[in-house]
Amino acid sequence: MDGYLGSYATLGITLLAGALVFVGAFSANRVLRPRRPSVSSGKFESYECGLDPVGGDWAQAQIRYYVYAYLYALFAVESVFLFPWAVIFDRPGFGGAAVVEMAIFVAVLALGLLYAWRKRVLRWA
Amino acid sequence: MVLLVVPAVGAVTAALVRHDLAGRIAGTVAAAVAFLATLPLPIGRGTRVDTGPALVPWHQVDVAWVPSLDLRFHLGVDGISYPLVVLTALLTLLCCGYTLWRVPDPGRGRLLVALLLIIEVGILGVFLALDLILFFVFFELVLLPMYAVIAGWGGPGRRRAARMFVLYTLLGSVLLLVGLVTVVGAAGTADLVQLTGTRLGTGTQYAAFVLLAIGFAVKSPLWPLHTWLPDAHTEAPTVGSVILAGVLLKMGTYGLLRVAVGVAPDAAQGAAPVLGGFAAAAIIVGGLVCLAQNEVKRLIAYSSVGHMGFVLLGIATLQPVGFQAALVGNVAHGLITGLLFFLAGAVKDRAHTGELAKLGGLRETAPGLSGLLGFAAVASLGLPGLAGFWGEAFAIVAALRTGGAYWNVLGVVAAFGAALAAAYLLRLLRRTTHGPASPAVLALDGPRLSAAELVAWAPLVLLIVALGLLPALVLGPGAAAVDALHGVVGR
Amino acid sequence: MTTDIAAETLKLPSLDYAALAPMLILFGVGCVGVLVEAIAPKKARFPVQLVLAVLGIAASLTAIVLAAGTEKVTAAGAVAVDGPGLFLQGSIAVLGLVALLLISERSLERGGAFVAQAAVTANSEADRDQATRGSGATEVYPLIIFSLGGMMLFAAANDLLTMFVALEVFSLPLYLLCAMARRRRLLSQEAALKYFLLGAFASAFFLFGIALVYGYAGRVDFAGIHAAVLDSPNDIALLYIGLAMVAIGLLFKAALAPFHVWTPDVYQGAPTPVTALMAACTKVAAFGGLLRVLYVAFERSQWDYRPVLGAIAVLTMLVGAVLAVTQTDIKRLLAYSSIANAGYVLVGVLAISKAGLASSLFYLVAYGFSVLAAFGIVTLVRDADGEATHLSRWAGLGRRSPLYATLFTFLLLAFAGIPLTSGFTAKFGVFAAAIEADQTWLVIAGVITSAIIAFPYLRVVVMMWLSEPGESTPAVSLPGALTAAAVTIGAAATLLLGIVPQPLLDMTENAAHFVR
Repeated sequence: MDGYLGSYATLGITLLAGALVFVGAFSANRVLRPRRPSVSSGKFESYECGLDPVGGDWAQAQIRYYVYAYLYALFAVESVFLFPWAVIFDRPGFGGAAVVEMAIFVAVLALGLLYAWRKRVLRWA
Repeated sequence: MVLLVVPAVGAVTAALVRHDLAGRIAGTVAAAVAFLATLPLPIGRGTRVDTGPALVPWHQVDVAWVPSLDLRFHLGVDGISYPLVVLTALLTLLCCGYTLWRVPDPGRGRLLVALLLIIEVGILGVFLALDLILFFVFFELVLLPMYAVIAGWGGPGRRRAARMFVLYTLLGSVLLLVGLVTVVGAAGTADLVQLTGTRLGTGTQYAAFVLLAIGFAVKSPLWPLHTWLPDAHTEAPTVGSVILAGVLLKMGTYGLLRVAVGVAPDAAQGAAPVLGGFAAAAIIVGGLVCLAQNEVKRLIAYSSVGHMGFVLLGIATLQPVGFQAALVGNVAHGLITGLLFFLAGAVKDRAHTGELAKLGGLRETAPGLSGLLGFAAVASLGLPGLAGFWGEAFAIVAALRTGGAYWNVLGVVAAFGAALAAAYLLRLLRRTTHGPASPAVLALDGPRLSAAELVAWAPLVLLIVALGLLPALVLGPGAAAVDALHGVVGR
Repeated sequence: MTTDIAAETLKLPSLDYAALAPMLILFGVGCVGVLVEAIAPKKARFPVQLVLAVLGIAASLTAIVLAAGTEKVTAAGAVAVDGPGLFLQGSIAVLGLVALLLISERSLERGGAFVAQAAVTANSEADRDQATRGSGATEVYPLIIFSLGGMMLFAAANDLLTMFVALEVFSLPLYLLCAMARRRRLLSQEAALKYFLLGAFASAFFLFGIALVYGYAGRVDFAGIHAAVLDSPNDIALLYIGLAMVAIGLLFKAALAPFHVWTPDVYQGAPTPVTALMAACTKVAAFGGLLRVLYVAFERSQWDYRPVLGAIAVLTMLVGAVLAVTQTDIKRLLAYSSIANAGYVLVGVLAISKAGLASSLFYLVAYGFSVLAAFGIVTLVRDADGEATHLSRWAGLGRRSPLYATLFTFLLLAFAGIPLTSGFTAKFGVFAAAIEADQTWLVIAGVITSAIIAFPYLRVVVMMWLSEPGESTPAVSLPGALTAAAVTIGAAATLLLGIVPQPLLDMTENAAHFVR
């Protein structure tokens, strides 16, 4: 278990153990459960709870959620970069150039926001 | 070199001119100019110096083409290539002239003429190239136009025939290219003048010779790689067959002589018995198959296999006489088979069939045509006094002169093959010209020969007779070059 | 504590703006393009975008020419500006410019080859409406400019991480562009989705490979990897697996077997001008990256990867050539031909020598021009339903329009490597380089597959010239000035590089030196 690849062996064993637990549980289930084949349709429903499911199993989500998710991810990433920059930019040797670079970075992201706004993505209707 | 530029320009004009007839005339004029340009080539050739390199061209052009890839545009003509150059120019001229008079279905004669001229550029390039890569470039250049000629103007089975032709030839080209690349890689130069006479390593020589020989054997074609030939010849239009048999096959034998033997002489010496064996087999097989043929063009096509067998036998002996035989045989076969295909085409066009069983009695309805057919057949079977004789006789003599039981057997076999040739050609004559006239022959369209046909065939007839009486026409210019080549092999 | 360490190690990297200018210009123009989309009135967008894009690429090209001869590593080792890098950037710019002409053509179809909104459900009423009417999206221009910028960065990237970023920058716009065909929307969307999913997989492999290589070498920059290849005490298996995974990512982009399966579907489904862009520019960029990784970073393990990549080259040529024989769609046929051609370039790459580098560069440019012209002609053969790409529809085209049939025949001959076309010079170059490097087996495989692949080409030629035009033979549209210019440039380059290749060969040879 030493060496660089050795740590991967641990990972491999963990994965193997996981698979074994999974297979074991299902096999135990199969061995222990009573076997009562039935022709009634209830057994083949998605949810065996007495209620008939409504609609298909593919649900459609509003595309707008994705757009918002994207915009959020964008600015989340932006702030990830902003924090370390805020700590460092007033050190000697950084200063002006660092400010300009961050301005460009933010401007590029703002450009995306501007585009989204102009394309009326931000309006919920 | 004027020789290549003129047909190329002609091809372009012929293709571009809107009017069909004008295009054909332009092409024919270009072919004529090219032919005239070949005539003065022997003028100004230098006298040979014995200590010089083994290959001394009379004239040459040497321009760097792509220096960084070491490609050179090196052309030149010498005694071995000169007769073939003239033959090519002549046959192309005749074919172009022939299309002035008659365009095979489906028309568009100017395109056909343009393709013929491109083929001429390619073939002349092959004969003139003194750089191996350039040689290959021209070798490839011929393939596609020929394919288009067969597939565009051919008979009912043209698709299959054209495909066979391309399949085989591409395979041959691949081997050829690998062989050439081996040589160039080993020698560090692609220049034939430098290569002829330099000794490469034995292993390289054998590898190169085998690859090159197979590549050229497909083109020649040498038995058992000949199966593309009958279909291609049978289905091609008349002018296509003439070019195919008359000069295209010569690229194979010329290449074998100039490149394979010239560059890998030791290997040639080692492989000569094998090559000779195949050549003799080709002679016999060609003869036997011909005896069983029922179609005029197919028969002539298979007879090519036999005749090229003689040429290859001549090369395989590696004797000066053998090389001479190959040279004369090449030229004679080009003239005679060209004439035969012209005649067969004329018969087929008139009788609308090429089946021997449906022909017969041509002598009565079309005496001129059958007379010429008889002349060509007799020339083809090698009657002394006509062109066909010298190539076959020299090849047999060369084989016998090489000595040893094996070569004696080969010589005898070849002689027997010559007898077979007589048998099948006489059978051809008996079936077509003699006997009672068949319905197809009685219904002949225009039994008389047209003036255009006479003009196209007369030079061939005259040259066959001339070459038969004076083989020195070809042997003379080639002698020095052949001796030099033999010197390379014998060293 | 951490901040102190950061303060010590974080230094402002020195940036050589002149050397970076080609990429910076493109990225800047891309941003301006987005701005134009956001604020310009609808009618004005197309001309503004077109002019902007052309000027941007031209300015970038000027910057490349001005930078010629530079050899330096800049931006803290992230970007290498050297002969091959600049040559590849220049080729990407020129080929991109020609592709841009095809992309901007609007006279063949009202509104161009792109839809306005790619997300409209295919075959719905709204979709049919936007297919027949409505002007195409002008967003394609910023996308293409970003993509070209990414390609340039990819060809000049000097460490694996920059390379990964560049890979994504040029790939993502292409995924989008694939989905925007005006006709046959479903096919187009399928193409985009396939390309995206498979591309994402390939990127993941690439990234994982970077991690493993970093695990071995402790560095991601190429010079560092080069130094570590022999000396690192770490398990050599890490290097092999890492290199293999990095190579998978690159081979995927270059469409080499067995990572080529996306190519035919994507080439067929994408709008034809975009296909042309991918076949020409993406190939250049992908091989640019591959060349740099193999020549600069892993040069010293060439004895390990050469046989494997050699086998891949043979497989690629074989797969491309054999499967091309069975194709019935012209775009798929060209796709398989591009796969086979990628195999030939790889033969040149595997020479691992100056000649190999120079010949690969030459091949990429020569092929790029030919393939642009070929796809340009494909856009012209059309009927009421858009392009007629099924091969049976091309029967008898030679009668309908001899000029374009002649041009296409010539281009096919170039692909087949017939002498006097750029295809021959290019193939000859890579084969000669490979022979010099004792890789004769590759050359033999190359020559044999060249013979095989001549058949599908020949079949098309025969189809065009020797078949009678049927009822369904479409007319060839009169090309607009832009397409005509693109096709002319492509065909002329194919011819010129076949007859007088010397100037470009000189350029490639002068350029063929990587900086490490």
